[in-house]
Amino acid sequence: MNEADRLREAMRVTESTDQGMLDLAAVVREGRRLRRRRRLAGAGAAGLVLAVAVAVPVALRPGGPPPQRPADAMTTASVAAPTATPTAGPTTGTPVSPGGTDRKPTGAVVSSGIRYGAQERVFYFVPVDVPSVPRVKIGLVAGRRDTDGRLTPDVLINDVAGRDRHEGFHEIGYDQQGERQFVPPVPTFGYFVGPAMRIVGTVDGRQVNAELARWSADPRVVIFWFDPTTLAPGVRLDGILAYDKRGARL
Amino acid sequence: MARDDTEFVEFARAASGRLVHAAFLMTGDRHEAEDAAQTALARTYASWSRIRGDDAYRYARSVLVNHLVDRWRRPIREYPTEELPEQRDDDVADAVATRRWLFAILGTLSPRERAIVVLRYYFDLPEAQVAHELGVSVGTVKSTSSRALEKLRGVGAGAPRVHGTRR
Repeated sequence: MNEADRLREAMRVTESTDQGMLDLAAVVREGRRLRRRRRLAGAGAAGLVLAVAVAVPVALRPGGPPPQRPADAMTTASVAAPTATPTAGPTTGTPVSPGGTDRKPTGAVVSSGIRYGAQERVFYFVPVDVPSVPRVKIGLVAGRRDTDGRLTPDVLINDVAGRDRHEGFHEIGYDQQGERQFVPPVPTFGYFVGPAMRIVGTVDGRQVNAELARWSADPRVVIFWFDPTTLAPGVRLDGILAYDKRGARL
Repeated sequence: MARDDTEFVEFARAASGRLVHAAFLMTGDRHEAEDAAQTALARTYASWSRIRGDDAYRYARSVLVNHLVDRWRRPIREYPTEELPEQRDDDVADAVATRRWLFAILGTLSPRERAIVVLRYYFDLPEAQVAHELGVSVGTVKSTSSRALEKLRGVGAGAPRVHGTRR
């Protein structure tokens, strides 16, 4: 018997004590709850059931409040906008051209290629000042850019503990609008610090590749987002992993 | 109970033993293993209308393994010796030795490596299928399997005589 066969056999022969321990009634209850949540998310009502989010999204509006900690978080996006079906396209970074926002982007505005009529989904960092978290100086905005370069912020995410440049994943932003969609659905987005060349999310056993762009102001920072045609906005990820150029997990 | 629920419960009863054991091999913790298997089955239930039939087991297995790879960050724990089935003393000693040997090997692997080994050698999946389910290259599966077997050779001197049959 070779090593592979011995390993195979050892895994099987230790199997015998693991049978019949699961509470299948609890499994069905949890499965029903998940199914309901997905239906709500699919109907654009993810915000109703995803109110307790890992991320700390803070909706912005011109002249709106500064970023806040979770207890104070607001989701008061008030910007009416066309809601055409998003489409995916090429990804490029473009020079900063702030328009109607009170918060100037730091570094380049990243184009996602996702369009809503004449507007395009963009991502950009802005300076933030989070009380009692002095090492968090930046937040990532999911916004829209008009043809004249004017930026309209939809959602800002920022860390609420530690520092904004620690290696690894930071807060992840989800669409959290209720049944009434005030702005186009916001793709799931976030940033990773490190040499990531590929970022893969997992949802219900399905793996979804993220789109990536390096931040012009700090090349260690990788902005990522999930194409809304492959990951519905508002649907929570079960996991997320980053890989370097050799395919090694970071 | 709806007909779909009856079908699902039958499926879950048939699949749960192997799912729990696969999770146990990946975590070394029986309670974590049961939680992971319940999570995988709940998500399978939520998608049942779409994946019932031939895809259901593959779906549940994929959810389970990816869930554990993503969530499990701690090193594997000590192998447990409780709840051994009623057997002759010699069989119990063999079972304990086999389990100790197996977890000594698995404990040297990262969570992703463990997942590859479990999919490859416990579920007997071809390399391409393992690569697909974990979202890695076939080369990664080959090299990880090779490293695992290398480690196995390293501890092979203490390998027990494995016997018994799959149920």
